[in-house]
Amino acid sequence: MLLRDMQTAFACAIFGKDIDALMPHVVSRGVSPEQRFAVYRNNVHHNLGEALRAVYPVVERLVGARFFDYAADRYIEIYPSECGDIHRFGNGFSAFLSDFPPAAQLPYLPDTARLEWNMHEVFHAPDHAPLALDKLGQLPQSSYAMLRFMLHPACRLLSSPFPVHRIWEWNQATAQQEEALDIGSEEASLLIRRSGFEVELVPLAPAEFAMLSALSDGRTVGAAFESALRADQGFELARFIWDHVRQETIVDFRTESSQDRQ
Amino acid sequence: MHTLNRDGDAPGAIPCSAGIGLRSVHYRELLSAQSRTGWLEAHSENYFGDGGQPLYYLERIRALYPLSLHGVGLSLGSAGPLDREHLRKLKSLVTRFEPGLVSEHLSWGAVAGRHLNDLLPLPYTEEALEIVCAHVREAQDFLGRQILIENISSYLQFRHSTIAEADFIDALIADTGCGMLLDVNNLYVNAANHGVDPISYLGRIPVSAVKEIHLAGFDHLDGLLIDTHGKRVAEPVWELYRHALARFGPVPTLIEWDTDIPALAVLLAEAGRAERIMEECHAAA
Repeated sequence: MLLRDMQTAFACAIFGKDIDALMPHVVSRGVSPEQRFAVYRNNVHHNLGEALRAVYPVVERLVGARFFDYAADRYIEIYPSECGDIHRFGNGFSAFLSDFPPAAQLPYLPDTARLEWNMHEVFHAPDHAPLALDKLGQLPQSSYAMLRFMLHPACRLLSSPFPVHRIWEWNQATAQQEEALDIGSEEASLLIRRSGFEVELVPLAPAEFAMLSALSDGRTVGAAFESALRADQGFELARFIWDHVRQETIVDFRTESSQDRQ
Repeated sequence: MHTLNRDGDAPGAIPCSAGIGLRSVHYRELLSAQSRTGWLEAHSENYFGDGGQPLYYLERIRALYPLSLHGVGLSLGSAGPLDREHLRKLKSLVTRFEPGLVSEHLSWGAVAGRHLNDLLPLPYTEEALEIVCAHVREAQDFLGRQILIENISSYLQFRHSTIAEADFIDALIADTGCGMLLDVNNLYVNAANHGVDPISYLGRIPVSAVKEIHLAGFDHLDGLLIDTHGKRVAEPVWELYRHALARFGPVPTLIEWDTDIPALAVLLAEAGRAERIMEECHAAA
């Protein structure tokens, strides 16, 4: 049996439960080939399941450990791990949950998973120095509208029709759970970022979210400002820029002439 | 990425003493003056992220301790090509942190781009030997340094294996110039699971190739020993460790503990026991 054929049969037996092709090639000594192989099936599912559990603690709290294990096992079989670094496993869990009939009663579950995956990415994202204000100060004010700001690489923007940030907070061990959470009460427009090494969720006003989303898409300050004004006629651009430079959401910029002209 | 900017010389080579596996729950204690160990071993993939807390702490820890990088995801035994992106990430860690040792496993974990994220056993055939040799050479060439290959614990063997594991490793070392990370617990587990004679196994490994030893705890399940890395080193494994030291001399020894991670003091006590045994064996030699 060639190595590739054995490895293909092994993976099929792990994920598809068809062990017939592999078992004749396994030594039986005291313990049967099936029992020996079962250790690997358990280990692979356990390792990948624990990787999901580490990324999605709030999803697990929402559905309970047994439901989570069941969903994780289905996910592991359908969505192959594509990397030898197990920390990269699980980015399709939100999409999986939105098509997972047993979770249909929890419409906010996929977006909660999406929030947790974004938080996981933010935790591991690159570091970046703050914006050098003097660099910005050297530009003529008339050129500001054509600037393109770069957001910190450890920032993500997420919107949801459900208040996923409240759901997340409500399911932290330290949360005060005096009142029930009304999931129909509020939407979420969030900035997910690092503060120190902690990942934090910042709810944004619609105009601020529109502005950051446009900047994140590479639009100029002028174009982004127009989207913000559509959400709020009173949007204060100067204050927005100052706040987000100070909070290190905005960490760099390029001028229209420098590169990547659209 | 830039290389370390250290004040003075950070310790480089792994000393012939006992170290422990680096886990995030122990970062702060390991940076304090009270809780020190001879050296630390990090799982390479735990630092494959681009930034944030893990790399921040690894850098601070590296300034105080000799460091070994131990990979679990390169899949040297896969029939397909090595993952160059994985190798690139490993190389950037090696360049940045200048580890004293770099190791991986004699195992496979991926087929046709699908990863199983586990250390899976190989059939010991001429074909597999050729593939593993080619991959170890490729990894060493890419990294520009020797790597150590660890014997894994396994729960099944293949009927079509034609080479004993110790001879397979001996041939791998001869062909590639790699070193060996001898996991004494894995050898003990395999002796029980497959009837391998561990003393004869040790006798077939070239003495100068063993650059590191691993010790860990195992569990029992349905007639098999399972390498769980979740408890203290078992007495018969300590005994086998003495045999290994008698053959290989003092070798840097790591206490591995990856599940149900205990207080740092427990790990340091296990490391202390390994060091006492190393001293006794050295004195007796």
